[in-house]
Amino acid sequence: MFLSAINRLQRPVSIAPLVTFRILFGLMMLAGTIRFWANGWITQQYVTPKFYFTYMGFEWVHPLGNTGMHFIFGVIALATICITAGLFYRVAVVVFFAAFTYVELIDVTNYLNHYYFISLISFLLIWLPANRYLSVDVRIWPKLKCTHVPLWTIGIIRLQIAIVYFFAGLAKLNPDWMLHALPMKIWLPAKSHLPLIGGLMYKEWIAYLFSWFGAFYDLFIAFFLINRKTRPMAYVFVLGFHISTAIFFPGIGMFPYVMIISSFAFFSSGYHQKLLAFFIGKNQLIPTSNYRYPAILRVLLPGVIGIYFLLQIIIPLRFLAYPGHLFWYEEGYRFSWRVMLMEKSGNTFFTVKEPSTGKTYEVDNSKYLTPLQDKMMSTQPDMILRYAHYLADIYTKRGIKSPAVYAECHVALNGERSRLYIDTTVNLAMQSLSWKHYKWVLPFTKNEK
Amino acid sequence: MIKLSRKTIAFIAAALVVTTFIIACSKSGGNTNTLDPSANGFDKTAMLTNYADNLIIPAYTNLQTQANLLETAVNTFLTTPNTANQVTLKNVFKDTYLRYQDVSVDQFGPAETALLSNFSNTFPADSVVIEGNITRGTYSLTSNASINQQGFPALDYLLFNLHAINDFTGATAVNRKKYVQDVVTNLKTRVATVLSAWKGSYRATFIGNTRSDSGSPIAFLINQFAFEMDQLKGPRIGWPFGKQSGGTMFPNNTEGFNAGISVALATQNLTALKTMFNGNGSGTGMSDYLVALKQQKLSTDVMAQFDKAINSLKTVPDPYVTAMSNNKTQIEAAYREIQILLTLIKTDVASATGVRITYQDTDGD
Repeated sequence: MFLSAINRLQRPVSIAPLVTFRILFGLMMLAGTIRFWANGWITQQYVTPKFYFTYMGFEWVHPLGNTGMHFIFGVIALATICITAGLFYRVAVVVFFAAFTYVELIDVTNYLNHYYFISLISFLLIWLPANRYLSVDVRIWPKLKCTHVPLWTIGIIRLQIAIVYFFAGLAKLNPDWMLHALPMKIWLPAKSHLPLIGGLMYKEWIAYLFSWFGAFYDLFIAFFLINRKTRPMAYVFVLGFHISTAIFFPGIGMFPYVMIISSFAFFSSGYHQKLLAFFIGKNQLIPTSNYRYPAILRVLLPGVIGIYFLLQIIIPLRFLAYPGHLFWYEEGYRFSWRVMLMEKSGNTFFTVKEPSTGKTYEVDNSKYLTPLQDKMMSTQPDMILRYAHYLADIYTKRGIKSPAVYAECHVALNGERSRLYIDTTVNLAMQSLSWKHYKWVLPFTKNEK
Repeated sequence: MIKLSRKTIAFIAAALVVTTFIIACSKSGGNTNTLDPSANGFDKTAMLTNYADNLIIPAYTNLQTQANLLETAVNTFLTTPNTANQVTLKNVFKDTYLRYQDVSVDQFGPAETALLSNFSNTFPADSVVIEGNITRGTYSLTSNASINQQGFPALDYLLFNLHAINDFTGATAVNRKKYVQDVVTNLKTRVATVLSAWKGSYRATFIGNTRSDSGSPIAFLINQFAFEMDQLKGPRIGWPFGKQSGGTMFPNNTEGFNAGISVALATQNLTALKTMFNGNGSGTGMSDYLVALKQQKLSTDVMAQFDKAINSLKTVPDPYVTAMSNNKTQIEAAYREIQILLTLIKTDVASATGVRITYQDTDGD
């Protein structure tokens, strides 16, 4: 049983889906990079800020200044072109993965689930022979040409997408989303400008419909995409769902398009083969050769891939190890495919006190943070703590002896009235950043720890 | 494998039909009025029309009228710089500055294009650079670097500083008079530009956009409420009082310092904000929108907090400089109330209306 499954995964199939995926992914990443640059976001997010919220363990990651950051994005753009064309593919995809991930690691403020997804996909692409057909590499080195690859090389992309959807669906199975249609109930009335259906946006049942449909879609779409019979219909759902999210929530940017294009990988090898044939004018791929991994990789890869997917399952579930309301504490919230899941806003005033003189200094956040950083920081405890530590440094440099940092933060979650978020009596300068439960975040409800 | 029941499949199929219908409709771009909006929630167009026609355009018109009076009073004072004329001028200046507070919250659309707020009310003015400009007799009031050399803060300094009357008869008198006139002209021109844009095409643009995403009038309004509250808490009241600096005060940095009208200006600013928030009690304001969103209690609380903050500001007497040493308790209390109001607007109101408080555009998820 197990062995036959393994054998099935090794079965050679047409390389076509991998090639389509490579080309579409490359083109989309190129478009995304151009859009990011054209919007002036490189400067806004990676040059203007004076302070960056790094990830734990990645404190050594720093931006490279105006020229440096634009250069990096130039490199990313070049890599996407090479990926699309299949030119120096392996180098290009390694460079893309490294540069893209580096940029994402600079500042927690800019964390988006689909950026994380892009990092993961590009990591997987490093190990896949996506350049062995219809590529410049094959033109230069015809010996590289392969028409067939092991099934699992396409399978891991599908599995990755399935994991994203499934966990996104699981995340929606919470009382706020399912029983109270929150945050849809808050977000939809803001869409009443839409023609014809605008007036409906105030109706509660619409919010419930959106919530329930979203949850069911996320939970089951991957299964319907896997199944050959339901696949075409399921892809219609993919299109419908993501296009409507793009219409209703334009703020989510590239995300719908990333998913539409990625989900295309679920179509069979035969389908992709016909598609490629349509574009390059050949009827089919003449089976010339099967791609075979080098011996060392054949030994190593199963382990690497096994660990990778184990992590993909553990990481989104790590929130279970923490007490308290997940949306409130956000311990284990990121890297878990929680997309558009809550309406949370807050604002925070920091006060720096000099114990020896009793003098207090209220902090003007706009002096140190961009508006976006200020906004993101105000609802996320780890960012509040990092900023508090930064303030302690800044005020120490200004000559204040052992500054104590206090935060007065109010947060509103899912339409509830705002309430005090951080214990105002705790000196945040003395609290250390860790994976442990934050005791200085005030509980969401009274009976929580 | 997960087996799906027929019911689930039926549910999903039904949902798909509805979604397709929705997409088809939203793409077809039909007429918004096919559904009666008031029966389905709230008429945002009526709200925006109220803002444009009954609040924003009249506020700019009043400011323009008042600016003409200011020009006349300035000229009288410049011709005969004496104490009596200065006293008269100060009253007119105060009235004009108060009318400016009424439009202070409207810094979007034409006002944003013209950078009205930057050029009219960047305080404190840089008196050193202004004096340099006057001595040289050459300056530009249009470059972005010159924002703190003009507008109300520059006039406040030039017309009402302790040695103002002497200055207008001294060695630099000719250049100084011309500088004042240039500042007044510049101010009037910018107000006129903004008003004519509102009376022109922008009114329709404003009323016609009932979206709430970034760049829309509703988002602008809520963001501006938050921004003005930040300004009130910081530069207008808190920072000069030493909130940021361990108690070291900076009285010269207040708005309208020389004329001694800082608290009056702050109070008017907040009062104008309140009027904007409830649409001047017309039943079509932001407070009513909250009610339509089933946030009756929040709406009431915000209005009550406006009154609390305004009333506590009123207990602080002008000039603010004197109050900073004599009325610390009242200032602390007012500061507290302002902070509570700021939190309500920035957090609760923004959250309830689904508007992002950010003066910066980006993707989210």
